[in-house]
Amino acid sequence: MGSPATGASTWRLLVVTVIILTALAVLPRFVEIYQTQLLTYGLVFAIAALGFNLLLGYTGLLSFGHSAYFGAGAYAVAFIVRDLGVQSMELCILGGLAATILIAALFGFVCVRHTRIFFGILTLALSQVLWSLAFKFFWVTGGTDGIRVASAKLTLYGGLINFAGPGAFQRFVYAYYYYVLALFAVSTVIMWVIVHSPFGKALQAIRDNEVRARFVGISVQRYRWIAFMISGAFTGLAGILWVPLNGLTTPDILYWPFSGEIVFMSVLGGFRTFTGPIVGAVVFNYLKTYAVASTEYWQLLLGLVLVILVMALPTGIVGTVARMTSKLRGRI
Amino acid sequence: MDQKVDRRSFLNQLGVTVGAAAASAVPVIGPAEAQTASAPKGKIPDTPLKMGHMTFLTGPAAVLGEPSLKGHILAAEEINAKGGILGKRKIETITADEAAGTDANVKELRRMKLSEKIDMFTGVISSGNTPALGPVAEELGLLTIFVDGCTDFLWDKAVPNPKFTFRITNIQSADGVTCAVAAAQTWPTAKKIAHIHPDYSYGRNAFDHFTLAYKKLVPGAEVVSEGWPKLGTTDFTAHITKAMSANPDIIMSSVWGGDYVAMYKQALRYGMFNKAKFASTIAFGVAPHAIGKDHPEGVIAGVHSNYYFTYPAGNRWPANKTFVEKYHKRWNEYPNFQSDGAYHTLHMYRTAVEKANKLTGGWPDEEAIISQLEGMYFETAAGYLYIRPDNHQGYKDAVTGFSKNVDAYPFQILDPNRMITIPIRNITAPPGWPKPGSGHNDPTSTFNWIKETWPQVA
Repeated sequence: MGSPATGASTWRLLVVTVIILTALAVLPRFVEIYQTQLLTYGLVFAIAALGFNLLLGYTGLLSFGHSAYFGAGAYAVAFIVRDLGVQSMELCILGGLAATILIAALFGFVCVRHTRIFFGILTLALSQVLWSLAFKFFWVTGGTDGIRVASAKLTLYGGLINFAGPGAFQRFVYAYYYYVLALFAVSTVIMWVIVHSPFGKALQAIRDNEVRARFVGISVQRYRWIAFMISGAFTGLAGILWVPLNGLTTPDILYWPFSGEIVFMSVLGGFRTFTGPIVGAVVFNYLKTYAVASTEYWQLLLGLVLVILVMALPTGIVGTVARMTSKLRGRI
Repeated sequence: MDQKVDRRSFLNQLGVTVGAAAASAVPVIGPAEAQTASAPKGKIPDTPLKMGHMTFLTGPAAVLGEPSLKGHILAAEEINAKGGILGKRKIETITADEAAGTDANVKELRRMKLSEKIDMFTGVISSGNTPALGPVAEELGLLTIFVDGCTDFLWDKAVPNPKFTFRITNIQSADGVTCAVAAAQTWPTAKKIAHIHPDYSYGRNAFDHFTLAYKKLVPGAEVVSEGWPKLGTTDFTAHITKAMSANPDIIMSSVWGGDYVAMYKQALRYGMFNKAKFASTIAFGVAPHAIGKDHPEGVIAGVHSNYYFTYPAGNRWPANKTFVEKYHKRWNEYPNFQSDGAYHTLHMYRTAVEKANKLTGGWPDEEAIISQLEGMYFETAAGYLYIRPDNHQGYKDAVTGFSKNVDAYPFQILDPNRMITIPIRNITAPPGWPKPGSGHNDPTSTFNWIKETWPQVA
């Protein structure tokens, strides 16, 4: 991360990206519909973790409240569909992003005044405020029943694709996979540009030495605040995209364990690399799904994985793989 | 509806009966599921029949939910011992832990259908989950018989026109109403009610329907305190002391499962049961052995208005006697209402397949099985069960009762000689009654029906 991109390495990056995207694009032809659907979940969480990591990996702030932005996006979509009768997914995304950025701006304004544990606790506390609102305002949010957003009611690409009629669910899974894949690709590119821009470098400078960054003339709090909003917007986008996939929103996605899951994803993949959170999110999604499916002790299994991970692979999956390949290369 | 009615005659109209001592020396009659079916028609494939069963296997809800899986396994073993359904297709069950949370459960249901290719889905305990899973099952075209998760909301709003989804245990609104009728009959002068309910759809539903029905039956009744602990909490101190400090005549609660066990033990320490009468919709819904002998006697300890294994006693309802014996032999414990629900869900499904086979021959397609399930009358341990065709909901007469210690069991039971039974059609909205959002905005159609049609007793 942060190594100056030479011409050759940029080319290599581009080639690898194109190969991966092509592989993802043709994948649904070769796997069953369930796997396509599961991968869609994985890509959605990858966008969330990507956003989260702008704070943790690049700005050095550990947020324990990112469920707030995921949930804000999700509930915004649910309200837009239920109360305004909107069907276009694009309008839902715009509305959801506006709501998320507003909340991230507000919460960020409070949180970035502090760092380390104080920052973490503040983000946690604020996310719990949203959770209890969704939980207690039964007549607005449906409480734990949540709000249902039927995929059949939505249209993609400004009404070009709708999901009425027979076989709707199957058509939805495929169409939505490509929809999410496209947005995932766009999000990844935008995030890559952000972290390699002067702004991204400034964030890394703040992370590495706040005092020195301030001496250089960087307005630390303002940069942190902007990073916080961008981070919230990405996680919010994930929440928005997650709703039609899941079919409903419940307060579970605003509750603190979900924030923990986002942290888990980033640590699992390796928060010190750009691609770590992406890999971590996709892997975590498979891990949790199959842990729940295969054993009633799934919580124990997930806990064990986390412990082993922190002890044995402190740099996460991507960090470890990168170290191993460079070792191999060194031997050759 | 302005005529004056007194409470006693209205309760008589409702058909509320209190159980009497069991008769003895009645002939032993074999229950329905022991009757052998005639040979199936046509060619039946011998591929196993895959089923998904989801219930709480971990956490405080497991003490109420896990018996569902035990009931299911017992029925599956019985069916498989006879070669499977239609003598050919043995049942293979995959399980999932409902405690994973609503969103994970939605994912898991899709996995079961799309990846594991299950033929039928059953189980599900929490009312927080059926409204999420019902639409998914319809979307997938997966035949589903929910054991519980009995919220009215499922058929009122989430799946208003079910095709693939059914539910076997009594509708939730009946639960609050049953408790209100029992309380009004037992303590007719109690006017001040304090409430402690889990803060999710079931607790709200119980609160709404109890309060509405109780006010109809007891003029001047009022809510003096409300406590809403989170589902799955184990510290009730604040809610217990709050309820007690309001000086209520009755403390009413719908806290269930391990939550309830924790609550009653804490309430004992505070002397809550000496301070006021206690009425619950679902206290004895847990696996029977989870209730200790230290539980207060003589309180209304509901069973989700479904079933308690001691009633009817003896051989008065042979289906119950044999079910309890078989269950105890297999699991070395006694069944709860979820065991009854899950066990009979499977036998009901088997019966529907057998009936459909007689008509179509071969393995019947889903449409044929569904048409047999719709309107089915079925004998269960809990009594007659009727599956209403319009909303695919199972209805049976509602029961509740009073707690009592007896020497025969190492735990406290519901007194079989003091059970209260209410004909279900007297406490729940009839078919076609307007749903919320069409003509009224009450929480459920039953709520609206009681509000509109029950008299205010004098």
